[in-house]
Amino acid sequence: MALQVNVNDILSQLYHQRHVVEFLFANRENITVNELLSREDISQEQYQKLKSLDLIYEYESVVSLNDAVVAMFEDFMEIGEVTPGFINDYINELKRHIRFYQEVHEHRFLRSIKKYLKRINIALSREIIKLQKNVDDTYKNEANYRIKIQKLEDYREKRDTIIDFIHKTEEIITDTRGLFNLTNDQELYGIVNALKAGLIENLDFLIEIQTDITDYINKIQFQLDVYVKAQRLKEIKDHGTLHYRTNFNEIVKAINPLRFNGIKGPRTKIAIDYLFTDEGHVLCKKVAEKYKISRLMMRGIAGKLPSNFKDQLIDQQIKLDVEKLVERFLDQSKLNLFEYLIDYKFPKAVGTVTFEDRLSIFVEIAMEYQTVMDFKYRLNYHDYEESGTKLKKRLGYTVILPLEKTEKKQKKDKAA
Amino acid sequence: MDELNYNLPKQTHDIFAIMARGHFISSNGTKDGMNRLYDIINNTENFDRLQAYFNVIRYNIERGNNYFYFSRLNEANSLIEQKLETFERYIDVIDLFASMDNKITIGSRFRPSEIAEECNANVRLKQKLQKIPMYRSETLLNKVRDICNLMTRDSFLELEDEQSESYKVLDAYTYLLDMINAISIYEETTGLDSNSSGIILN
Repeated sequence: MALQVNVNDILSQLYHQRHVVEFLFANRENITVNELLSREDISQEQYQKLKSLDLIYEYESVVSLNDAVVAMFEDFMEIGEVTPGFINDYINELKRHIRFYQEVHEHRFLRSIKKYLKRINIALSREIIKLQKNVDDTYKNEANYRIKIQKLEDYREKRDTIIDFIHKTEEIITDTRGLFNLTNDQELYGIVNALKAGLIENLDFLIEIQTDITDYINKIQFQLDVYVKAQRLKEIKDHGTLHYRTNFNEIVKAINPLRFNGIKGPRTKIAIDYLFTDEGHVLCKKVAEKYKISRLMMRGIAGKLPSNFKDQLIDQQIKLDVEKLVERFLDQSKLNLFEYLIDYKFPKAVGTVTFEDRLSIFVEIAMEYQTVMDFKYRLNYHDYEESGTKLKKRLGYTVILPLEKTEKKQKKDKAA
Repeated sequence: MDELNYNLPKQTHDIFAIMARGHFISSNGTKDGMNRLYDIINNTENFDRLQAYFNVIRYNIERGNNYFYFSRLNEANSLIEQKLETFERYIDVIDLFASMDNKITIGSRFRPSEIAEECNANVRLKQKLQKIPMYRSETLLNKVRDICNLMTRDSFLELEDEQSESYKVLDAYTYLLDMINAISIYEETTGLDSNSSGIILN
C-alpha cells in the first residue's frame, strides 16, 4: 500500500466518490480513464486520491475498482462468482480452533469456534444462492453454446464441492458433540442447532439446483442435437432428396398450428348499424377516399357540440325573454317593475306563467339590470291567494322604477 | 352468460386475438404482456376452462415446451404444398442460425446486422444465406432483415428494441426444433454420422 490507510480514510473516500464507485461497480469491465474523467462528478485530483489509496486500479488505461471492494459489495448483494473455497478455509480454521480448545479449555478459543460456525452457515447459504443465480443466468444469457455447457459443468462441480463441505461440517459437528456438551454454553448450542438445520436445508437446495443444471444441460444438448440434425437435413435438401430420404412430408402434413394451415385469423363483417354511427362514417370516408367512391362520402358528420350546450340553451331562452321585457318596461313610466310583471301579458308561445314564475323573473331582473333601474327603497304590498291552499297572503316588494332619461345620461358620463 | 358459466379469465379475449391469428404465445415474449398471458393459460384451472370454451368453437389449445398455440379440431388438411414450402424454408433458416458462431437459439438476442456481418466474413454462411429463397432482397443485410420479419410474423422472434433492431428468440422456436427432431432420416450412412456427432459443423 502506498499510504498508511485507516478505515476512516477508506470509508470517507468511498462515500465522497460514491457515484463513481457505483458507476465502476456497475460497469466493471470496460471503463477507460478518459471515460471516467469525462464524468462530471470526479476531478483529476479526486481520481489521483482514489488511486493513491488503491481503491481503484488503472491498467492499460482501463480503470477498475479494487477487487477487495468489489468482493465486499458482491458478498453483500449475494452476486458474483461462486467461491466455495472460503468455506473450506472456514472449516480448516474451525478445526484448528477446536484442536486448541481441546488442549486448553480457554474461552477465547470457544469464541473463535462460534465465529467460524456462524460464518460457515452464512457462507453456505450465500454460495448456494449465488450458485442458483449463476446457473440461471448462464442458461439464459450465455450466447455461446460450448461455453454455456462448460460453465454449467463447472457449476455442477462447484455444487459437488459445496456438498462435500456440508458433509465435512456435519462430521465435525458430530465428532465434537461431546466437547460442545462439556462447554455447557447456551449460545454455542443454539449456533450448532441453527447450523444443523441450515445444513439440511442447504442440501435440499443443492439437490434442486442439481436437477436444474441437469435439465439445462439436457435442453442445450437437445438444441445442439437438433441443430446438427437441421444441418444434415439442409444437406439432404440441397441434394434434392428431402422428400424421398426423410419423412418430411408426413411430418409437415401433420402440422396443425393455424398459421401454417392458411388460416389468417377469423374475419368478421362490419355491422350495418355501426356504419351509421359517426365512427362508422369516418371509416366509410377513409374507404371512399382510398377507392374514390363518392357515394360513401355523402353523409356528413354533425359538427361537434360544445360540452356545455345544455346550459347555454336554457340561459338563452330566459335572457331573450327578460331582455325584451326590460326594454318594454323601461319604455313606460306608469307602473313599477313588480306591478308591470304581475300584469304583463306574456305571448301565448310561452304558455301560462305562474305567480311564482313572475316573482323569480322579478328577482332576476332586479339583480341583473340594477344599473338601468331606479330602486326606491320603500316597500309596497301585494295581496294574493296562494294557489294550492287558497290562503290570503300579502307580499312586500321594493318599488323599482325605470331610471329617468337624464339620470341615465349622467350615470353614463360618470362611468366614462 | 356463457362466459360466467365457464368462469373464464378476463384476458380470454386477448388470448384469442393472438392465437386465432395463428400466433404462438411464448413464456419469454414481452410484447402486449405476452408472458402474462402465458402464465394465465399455464394455470391448470384456467387451461381447462379455456380449453373447454374454445373447443366449443372448434379451436384446440396445444401445449408445447413453454408455448401455446391453436389448432383446429378435425380440420381437413389442405394447402399441403404451401406448408411444405414454408417448412423447407424454415430448415434453411434454422440451418443458418445453427451455423453461426454464436448459435442463435431460444432466449438469444441478436441484431440482423450481426448476422449479415458474419455471413459477409464467412463464405459458407454467405452461400447459405444467398440460397434462402426470399423476394426482393438485394443486400445481405436486407435479406437477413426479411428473414427476421418473416420469423417475427410467425411469432418465433420478437423485435425487442426497434431503435437498435434487436431481436429476441421466443420459446415458440422450440416448435420448429421439435418439428426437426421429429423428422427421421432413412438409410443412415455411417460416414455422415461420425462426422456430425458432437460438434456442429460450421
